Amino acid sequence: MAIAGRRVAIVGMGGAFPNCKDLEQFKQKLFAGESLIREWDEALSHGKNIRSTVSGYITAAEMDLEPIYSTLAAGYPETYIDHLGRIPDGNLSTADMGSIWSMIGSQEAIKMAGWTKQETESEETGVVIGSGGAGHVILRTAWHNFFELKRKTRIAGSHTVDRAMVYRDAANVSCLIKNKGVCEAIGSACATGLGNIGYAYRLIKFGIQDRVVAGGVEGTSLETFIGFDAMQVLSKGFAPAESSRPFDTSRNGFVCSFGCGIVALEEYEMAKARGAKILAVIDNYHNNSDGAGNMFFPSFSGQKRLWKGLISDLQIKPEVVKVHGTSTPVGDAIELLSVVDIMGESGYHISAPKSQFGHMLGAAGAVELITAILMLEKQQVLPCLNSDVLNPDQESFQKSADWDGPEKPLEAYRDLISQQLVAQEINQIVCLNYGFGGTNSAMSISKHQ
Amino acid sequence: MERQEIIDGLVEILKTVRTIDQAKLQHVTEETDFIADLNTPSTEMINIAAKAEQKFDVEFEDDDIDDLGSKVKDIVDLIISTKERG
Repeated sequence: MAIAGRRVAIVGMGGAFPNCKDLEQFKQKLFAGESLIREWDEALSHGKNIRSTVSGYITAAEMDLEPIYSTLAAGYPETYIDHLGRIPDGNLSTADMGSIWSMIGSQEAIKMAGWTKQETESEETGVVIGSGGAGHVILRTAWHNFFELKRKTRIAGSHTVDRAMVYRDAANVSCLIKNKGVCEAIGSACATGLGNIGYAYRLIKFGIQDRVVAGGVEGTSLETFIGFDAMQVLSKGFAPAESSRPFDTSRNGFVCSFGCGIVALEEYEMAKARGAKILAVIDNYHNNSDGAGNMFFPSFSGQKRLWKGLISDLQIKPEVVKVHGTSTPVGDAIELLSVVDIMGESGYHISAPKSQFGHMLGAAGAVELITAILMLEKQQVLPCLNSDVLNPDQESFQKSADWDGPEKPLEAYRDLISQQLVAQEINQIVCLNYGFGGTNSAMSISKHQ
Repeated sequence: MERQEIIDGLVEILKTVRTIDQAKLQHVTEETDFIADLNTPSTEMINIAAKAEQKFDVEFEDDDIDDLGSKVKDIVDLIISTKERG
């Protein structure tokens, strides 16, 4: 259980961001109101076999990485070269693309945190990083060679396990930074990013660790993309920058994106005592399940219970609610109404950063927490791009007899969602993310006073 | 196929293994130990064996790979004996 008086500070961050060379450029582009979504040549190359062709993707070259292809199996990236010399070859040999981004992001977060080698390698330092996807070029090539081409298992080499196992990102980071504490991965679909950071928060809050490198990652993977494409849940028919349009009446799906968000968490008093720059303080984290028996459909009551658990007996009155806001027809509507039900009809802003970079799946919660930290730092609310027209009519579920939420149509809450950057005092932000399986997660962070 | 020719071919394979210190490949002999002398990660041995199969157009038996020693001469012997077996 939580130890009274023990608090958690965010002292570092890093990662990989679509169409950006680093965190600084990510910040610049976000606050310039730019979209990071592009037409994806890999998707386009499959012609009519794929519905959606837009993504916030990241290529190997954009991360200064170069794949070395196997001479044994066509198209198999045997390992990567890091042209910036950040990651040693031995660590690269056990990593898939997402794990490499995790290692780079962790290096950046630890550097920003200012942890010493001794602190980083301590038994009191943990690593908690997860990914949403379970498929990429490593497994596809290995399986194709064995099952379809009937070749020996050794053709794909000896690294398909370490480069594809569920907690590969955490394991690779741990082997790189040599921490001696916890090393685990939490998986909760699109709540993975925030879920890992929430779990890390608890490790510190409960007195199990003093420092944790935590986050979520989703390496660029057409294998992941096509699963969602087949479900017909991806945005289609808009220009890239207009594809992600949370709350807009014409939204028709999310933009499948990729990225990595890593934060360095530290017990507050320890961070303060060593004079660390505290980026934000975590007020609370809460997660729950809908309990509705539905894999996909969001639950209004589940989200309300999520808020209740988050607020608990704490002072949580955020100026900004950073929503999941994926740009799917039902998800956005339920979420907006649940936020209004809890927070009221005015007095705060809703931020939906997926409008700028799409849905990074397992990385979403972590990268969006980083955007929240940036909003605290800049004292500006990011714009919700493309939320041009909100539904003037009630949603169909609002008309059902058992609906007990707000009765007004989404249009009534237009003022909560700005399409322009808003400069204002921001002391607290609540971050929300949800995932398949009816899992919900929420974290409240505050500006360090 | 001469033994030195096989060793030269193995060195070419080792040059593609980025976890091996390339400077140590200057003086590879039959007595060079992949693990003790070249610090080759043990997990890379199967990759080297698979690439040797491709380079020298042979197919090793799984048992022979399991029993393979860690010196260069061990894999040279295996390549020659496998070729002789046809």
